[in-house]
Amino acid sequence: MTPPRPRALTAPSRARAAWRRLLAPIGLAGATALGLLAISVVPPVSAAVRAATPLRASSSTSSSRSSAGKVSLAVGKTLFDQSCASCHGIEAQGSTLAPSLQDLGAGTIDLWVSSGWMPLAVPGAQPLRKTDRYTRAETIDIAQYVASLSGYRGFGIPKVGLAGTSVQKGFAIYAEICAACHTITGAGDALSAGITAPSLHSVTKAQVVEAMRTGPGNMPRFGPGILSNQQVKDVVAYVVKEIEHPAHPGGLFLGGVGPVAEGFIGLFAGVGLCILAAFWIGDRTPRHGDDAHPGAQNDDDGPAGEGGGREREVEHV
Amino acid sequence: MIDRLFNWADDRLALSRGGRHLLNKIFPDHWSFMLGEIALYSFIILLVTGVFLSLYFVPSEHMTVYHGPYLPIDGTKVSEAFASTLRLSFSVRGGLLVRQMHHWAANIFVGSIVVHLLRVFFTGAFRRPREINWIIGANLLILAIFNGFLGYSLPDDLVSGTGIRIAFSILESIPIVGTYLATFLFGGQFPGSGIIIPRFFIIHVLILPLLILGLLGAHLGLLVRHKHTQFPGPGAREDNVVGSPLWPVFAAKTTGFLFLVAGVSALLGATTQINPIWLYGQYFPWKVSYAVQPDWYMGWLDGALRVMPSWEIHFPGHMIPNAFFPAILLPGITFTAIMLWPFLEAKLTGEDRREHHLLDRPRDRPVRTALGAAIFAFYFVLFGASATDVLANYLSLSLNFVLWSFRIACIVVPLIVYPVTYKICKELQETPGAGKRKVHNIVVRDAEGGYHTIPAEEYPGFVGEEAPPLDVDRIDVLTPAGASEPTPGIYRIPRDYTD
Repeated sequence: MTPPRPRALTAPSRARAAWRRLLAPIGLAGATALGLLAISVVPPVSAAVRAATPLRASSSTSSSRSSAGKVSLAVGKTLFDQSCASCHGIEAQGSTLAPSLQDLGAGTIDLWVSSGWMPLAVPGAQPLRKTDRYTRAETIDIAQYVASLSGYRGFGIPKVGLAGTSVQKGFAIYAEICAACHTITGAGDALSAGITAPSLHSVTKAQVVEAMRTGPGNMPRFGPGILSNQQVKDVVAYVVKEIEHPAHPGGLFLGGVGPVAEGFIGLFAGVGLCILAAFWIGDRTPRHGDDAHPGAQNDDDGPAGEGGGREREVEHV
Repeated sequence: MIDRLFNWADDRLALSRGGRHLLNKIFPDHWSFMLGEIALYSFIILLVTGVFLSLYFVPSEHMTVYHGPYLPIDGTKVSEAFASTLRLSFSVRGGLLVRQMHHWAANIFVGSIVVHLLRVFFTGAFRRPREINWIIGANLLILAIFNGFLGYSLPDDLVSGTGIRIAFSILESIPIVGTYLATFLFGGQFPGSGIIIPRFFIIHVLILPLLILGLLGAHLGLLVRHKHTQFPGPGAREDNVVGSPLWPVFAAKTTGFLFLVAGVSALLGATTQINPIWLYGQYFPWKVSYAVQPDWYMGWLDGALRVMPSWEIHFPGHMIPNAFFPAILLPGITFTAIMLWPFLEAKLTGEDRREHHLLDRPRDRPVRTALGAAIFAFYFVLFGASATDVLANYLSLSLNFVLWSFRIACIVVPLIVYPVTYKICKELQETPGAGKRKVHNIVVRDAEGGYHTIPAEEYPGFVGEEAPPLDVDRIDVLTPAGASEPTPGIYRIPRDYTD
């Protein structure tokens, strides 16, 4: 009995077999790429759910306390232990997962919590802005509690009044030091490697000051040696008065991203409407002779030269 | 009375002969022949609004103190150019509307030139005898892009100032002569000796518009000389033109179209803000904003600058800067290729250099169509690449990822577009009736539960089956002396372009 001979592969079927072998890895790679893309674009469901249903320690007490205006370190500690200590450590001393918060002032903590960057939902190049999950009073409680752990040494939570500020000076400083990343309209933009300069269209006065004075993430720190308190307040005045309420007497604002949006409107609305008008005025019926060969209807025209002569003849009208 | 006036004038000017010839010019009725008119009419709008703006604009870089209704700049030092642009936006009645109309019309102007160019390319209207007109058109596109950039730069605001800075570097990057050119144009190192705005102004309002007007005249003159191309259709042949005469049919249509284009410009100017320089502020060389883009028609160059890897070529003793390749070499190759294309195609196809007055349907020239589509896709990807930062920001992606995607896409996308377009053309060729109007069907259910298909009722104006072509009288446009005006309708006149 002869062993079964391996089936001779003809050239096309060998190619098909090769394809079949490649199909699985290609499909896997494609699926992986799609999955990675999806992960990078869509936040995980659990994070979305957590953001939607904020954990409130004691919303009733916090609201009554906020009217009284007193800071409760006890509430701050509770909230810190619940949501921050698992990474930053019970004494805010830091861990392998997160940096130490010792020696940081209440201003830093307030900025990171009130902007929704913390607690962190998605580890990445940069924490993303979310709706903050604490009330203003709870945020201050957490910030003061963390500051109390190291004796209130860092930059505190500022109280910003805009009396005596100048939007003109603020605009000049803004254009010089802020626009290079946040863009001149404050729309924010992507910097390299996943870092972004966030939009300034909905920030609070305190956040602007805290960001400038403490330099969160990639942002440089503009300390008192660079900008005086008055200059910082001028910038705040420009941001909350003009950037958050930009003058757009010319019509639709288009998001403040400049010629990118304008170009799309110009091409699709401008040129597009004009083309539609041409389509409307012009003849758009497919002509009957579309498929006819040119010159098939050899009916009535004489030679072109003769016609040309006749045309010239009657020009004297 | 009017007749006598005309006769009096005609006895002395003898205009009626040429006028009669012109009024009888036949214009094909297909809508795609009106794309170039969008450019023509938006240019007219640009001239009219531009004259208004020039009454108020002060082309000077002298510093002055702005006083006006816009608070964040009130009382600060800005240049005369910037201050006068603010004044004409906020303090001149209707000034902002006219300024925005001017800017939108500029966007429409260049856009319609590109669309017109694509139409001419894909239908083969550039072939003999129209090669020269094709070259003139390509030059008009170059001039339009340049003039758009200059106009964008005039207000001396932060965003356009950054653009001028980039233009300076691009100019500098030309080997050997670049530094001299840049120094001559700017009167020294950047930002120059305060002369760049006045120089840009005179180029923008005088020199380039004159050139554009001259070339436009030549473009239209050659159009009259060659007569229109036309799609194959009833009675349409290589040696005639089928359409409506200029007077009265086409004149009415085209005048209406002028108003429609003006209406679109006014609509955008009145409702959609463009280039809010008051948010940008005065340009100073030490200030810069992120997310700065040029207007869209420079976008492909900006995108090319962005996706270009950081390569520099060192000759012994001489370095060719990086910006040279995407910003000088690429447009140079692009426009040279555009202008040479009619000759290249005639050579490559081995076709004899016959005259062509009948247009191709793009599907019937699959290679040209696919090649054009692939090259257009390349520029479209570059155009998209000028928005890498904005895209990365809005999609929450890493800027580096977006940039590398565009680097890959500008090579891969054309390679995909070519075979796909080619295949679509071939399929369309094989499909009878593709692109024709369809007869709509209605599915009805009868009492027994069965389903039937019946043709839809005709709605007013619906022509399921096209009517057979009418017999068209020949040359009766040109009535003998003393006869009345020709009646409107479809006419066919012979081409006199036989020499």
